[in-house]
Amino acid sequence: MAATRRLQKELADIRKSGIKSFRDIQVDESNILTWQGLIVPENPPYNKGAFRIEVNFPAEYPFKPPKINFKTKIYHPNVDEKGQVCLPIISAENWKPATKTDQVIEALINLVNEPEPEHPLRADLAEDYTKDRKKFMKNAEEFTKKNSEKRPAD
Amino acid sequence: MSSPEETPDGIGAEEAAARGESFGNEEQDGEDQQEGDPWVSQHQDGDMKRAAAQLIEKYYFQLTNGCGNPHCDNPNCVSSGKIGPLSSNEAAGKALQLFATRARLCEVVGAKVARSSQSLTLSSGVSTASAQGHTSSESTATCSLVRDVNMAGALTPSTPLPPLSPQVDGSSKTPGLTEKTLSLTIAECHSSNNYAKLRRLLWAVFSNEVALRHSFLRSPDSEERSDNSLIGFKSLDNSRVQSKEELRALERDLDKDLDCAEVVCVGEGATSSCEGNEKDKDESQCVKDASLPSTLDISEVRRAYAALFECSEAEFGSTLMNAIVQLLSDSLSIQLRAHRDAFTAIPNNINIFIILLESPALNTTDFIEIVMPKMCRTISQLPEKDQALLTRHLASWEGTRLHRLLESLHQLITIKLLTTEFSRDFTINDEDSITSATQVMKLLFYASILGGELDTPLLKDIPPEESSIESMPLHDDPFLGVSGAGKDWAARAPPKDSLGTELGVHVLDARTPLVPLAEFYDDFLSDQLEMDRDFAYYKAGSGDKFSFLNYPFILTAATKALGLYYDNRIRMYSERRISIYQQVMEGMPANPYLKLRVRRDHIIDDALVELEMVALENPGDLKKQMVVEFEGEQGIDEGGVSKEFFQLIVEQIFNPDYAMFCLNNETQTFWFNPNCFESDAQFTLVGIVLGLAIYNNVILDVHFPPVMYKKLCSKPGSFHCLRDWNPTLYRSLVELLEYEGDDMEDVFMQTFRVGYQDVFGTSLTHDLKTDGDNILVSQSSKHEFVELYADFLLNKMVERQFRAFRRGFNMVTDDSPLANLFRPEELELLVCGSQHYDFLELMKSAEYDGGYTSETAIVQAFWELVHDMSTEDKKRLLQFTTGSARVPVGGLARLKLIIARHGPDCDRLPTAHTCFNVLLLPEYSSKEKLKDRLYKAIKYSQGFGML
Repeated sequence: MAATRRLQKELADIRKSGIKSFRDIQVDESNILTWQGLIVPENPPYNKGAFRIEVNFPAEYPFKPPKINFKTKIYHPNVDEKGQVCLPIISAENWKPATKTDQVIEALINLVNEPEPEHPLRADLAEDYTKDRKKFMKNAEEFTKKNSEKRPAD
Repeated sequence: MSSPEETPDGIGAEEAAARGESFGNEEQDGEDQQEGDPWVSQHQDGDMKRAAAQLIEKYYFQLTNGCGNPHCDNPNCVSSGKIGPLSSNEAAGKALQLFATRARLCEVVGAKVARSSQSLTLSSGVSTASAQGHTSSESTATCSLVRDVNMAGALTPSTPLPPLSPQVDGSSKTPGLTEKTLSLTIAECHSSNNYAKLRRLLWAVFSNEVALRHSFLRSPDSEERSDNSLIGFKSLDNSRVQSKEELRALERDLDKDLDCAEVVCVGEGATSSCEGNEKDKDESQCVKDASLPSTLDISEVRRAYAALFECSEAEFGSTLMNAIVQLLSDSLSIQLRAHRDAFTAIPNNINIFIILLESPALNTTDFIEIVMPKMCRTISQLPEKDQALLTRHLASWEGTRLHRLLESLHQLITIKLLTTEFSRDFTINDEDSITSATQVMKLLFYASILGGELDTPLLKDIPPEESSIESMPLHDDPFLGVSGAGKDWAARAPPKDSLGTELGVHVLDARTPLVPLAEFYDDFLSDQLEMDRDFAYYKAGSGDKFSFLNYPFILTAATKALGLYYDNRIRMYSERRISIYQQVMEGMPANPYLKLRVRRDHIIDDALVELEMVALENPGDLKKQMVVEFEGEQGIDEGGVSKEFFQLIVEQIFNPDYAMFCLNNETQTFWFNPNCFESDAQFTLVGIVLGLAIYNNVILDVHFPPVMYKKLCSKPGSFHCLRDWNPTLYRSLVELLEYEGDDMEDVFMQTFRVGYQDVFGTSLTHDLKTDGDNILVSQSSKHEFVELYADFLLNKMVERQFRAFRRGFNMVTDDSPLANLFRPEELELLVCGSQHYDFLELMKSAEYDGGYTSETAIVQAFWELVHDMSTEDKKRLLQFTTGSARVPVGGLARLKLIIARHGPDCDRLPTAHTCFNVLLLPEYSSKEKLKDRLYKAIKYSQGFGML
């Protein structure tokens, strides 16, 4: 594995740092190119649950950006129904090989906490979010309660 | 040694000599006539016109500069104070009047005739222009010229020397101009508001190759000498010549100036005896300098020009230009032609051209029209070594400046094309100004490459590929006298150009040239050129006739494609002839065509099997004209059927299921699949198909990244090729390169092991170096890393597939001038056509038949429909009518679509003859019906059938 050395270091660093919003990181021994982890947002309406994501690193990592997918359904203007997320930091145009995965995760958590309705993947949600925040919050909270994973105990 | 003379007698002849328009014989006459009356001398001299001109000149000079006598009482002399300052135009007009009335001419005051070192000059057949000067005395001090007769004489001992115009004795050794002299002169002229002296100086230096050669030398002691009044100058400029008269007047002015200058020198009392010694010294010094190409102080040259051009150009512009014309048209070009070797051996020779090229006036209209042709001619006569030196100099310019010069050359070519009447016997190839401008453009072309960013490693530094072990069956043809023995199809050296070799660069090395190479195309020339003739000259290759195909940068891809077309056709006919010959001689049934019979549903298998057979048994057959037949269909191949054949085969080869190529989603281009299960033979066959398409003039719908074409042109892919190949990867690697921190190892943690994915999504790794996994990329090794990485991705990983592919391609195109004519990006254009769908262009070039005109209602309805079509439908329509959805090189206008009437209104669908791009359109009753029929036709259009 080409990127092994770097990914292993990055993985170790993230685990060591113990950030609260991203935990329970699981990596298959045989394939360090795929990570899974649990996003634990702080802000409502997503603070009612946790969301499992998968980070896929390409073989050419770090020269090509990783991809992130939500495994848990989420009611969010920037995540589509398939769980794909549009995160500028890992878009092909903006990617920098010096960017570390913890920065990517941080950006993702920020996005979950603060949706960006200007660049939506789901235009309907974005519209609600800007025009009828109350309705949006209500729907999102219900959706989160129903679909998200349980938040870790501590 | 100068003896002042009292009368103006004899001046005419002498001035004529000084002008350089007259040659030796006249000068001698001049001597004899010194005492004669001007009116007489003109008869003696047999050239009334010239004498008249000289007289007018005198009047002119008198009107502008005066005779110099403070007590002058001539109302037509400035010195008398009776006339005010005149513009040169007015003065010229007045001078003519005075001449007509034979008004009084002042006697000249002061030193008049300088027969400087006559003993020397006469013996070598050189005229000394002696001069008359009514110069103000102050000019004596500063303005003096030096002549270098010895040197010039030595070079051309046996011929009458072309007049070296300003030959003057000088007391100093260096006859060249220096910045200091120039600025002194300029300052002086400024203060007196009389630029005559500056003009004199410019003329003296710029019309004299020796003076110019010695100007602005880097010599350390040149400064102290500058006071001595030696001058070499340089620069050109443009004059705004409003009328011929003015020009003439100015010319005359020049002559006078020159004369004055010479007088002055004499006044300085140079003794001819010591002159010889000095020259010897000069010469030896020159020889010493010869080893350094940069004896010229370029920055001094530039400063001098800058200072000069701060003056009003009207004051000196035409002088300068005329001096250069004089320089180029006489001594230089004659010497170059007659004594090229001796002449070019003169050290510092190249300085002359560098000084000329540095002129800020280079791009002015007058300069382009008047000086540029001569300059181009002279430069094109220089030996390659000198051209290379000039090229290197040009390469030091900024891109914009080079671009301007290039535009000037284009402008010159355009002017010549417009103003010259060409005929059967006098073609563009015979027009000297155009061909020499093209040759000079070649210097610019290489300068642009050389001065720009180069693609390392340079082609010359790349070791030739080891020849492939496996050799193809060879084709020996006794009739062609060509033996394929030892030919390695896969490795073909790129064509060389001698100037490029001299400079050590190749066109393929260009990455970001100073001026984009496409700027070198001359569209107008390309349009006007008779390619059949040019091609014939190219083929003759004897060098007597100029062929633009030897200068492929100036021709557009479309024009070159035409040249290639001729080449291919000639080859096809020769193959056909030979096969008939074989048939007669050997009784062998031979097929003059490359005939393929394929089943539509097994097109790849059938085609590949057949082509494989040909390739194995007789690769030469690939160069026959191709004829395709679909089994069970009646279409006769006049071009259309093979077009469809190529289309279908390409579609299938690039089908992802076939897995020979994989698609890059980001760029939508195909690349060789390194893990392909297909044998090498398959890739060879794809290469053959690509070659056949070019050979048979068919455009293919293939999408390769540019680096593929570069590789086909024998230049391996390098790091910067990744930009088009995989932009994201490229950007990331650039980031890596741009990272400056010392903690690179920590930040990137990148080792020399890289990962990649095969078509099945499996991750694989490759060590760029032995034990790569344990070597981290650091600041010092980052460049090595990206180069190795790119080399791996672009070359190593697909080496086997690409070699096979290229071998196939070369089998078809090996003898063709393809590689000489086309750069990689043009090759791409040739293969895939342009991507620009301009249907207005198609409409403009369309022709009509069978009763239709562009006015016919149904035709107009047709174009309305077409312009409203989606791109997808437009492509279909193209596919339907021409057999290819691609735009040919040169745009849609090249298709020459013909719309023919196909009977009156009926229910039939439109049909097409793809071979001739004819669309048969029944005269439908309404636009709606036309729309319905047309869309039906283009949507269900595969296959050939008879109606």
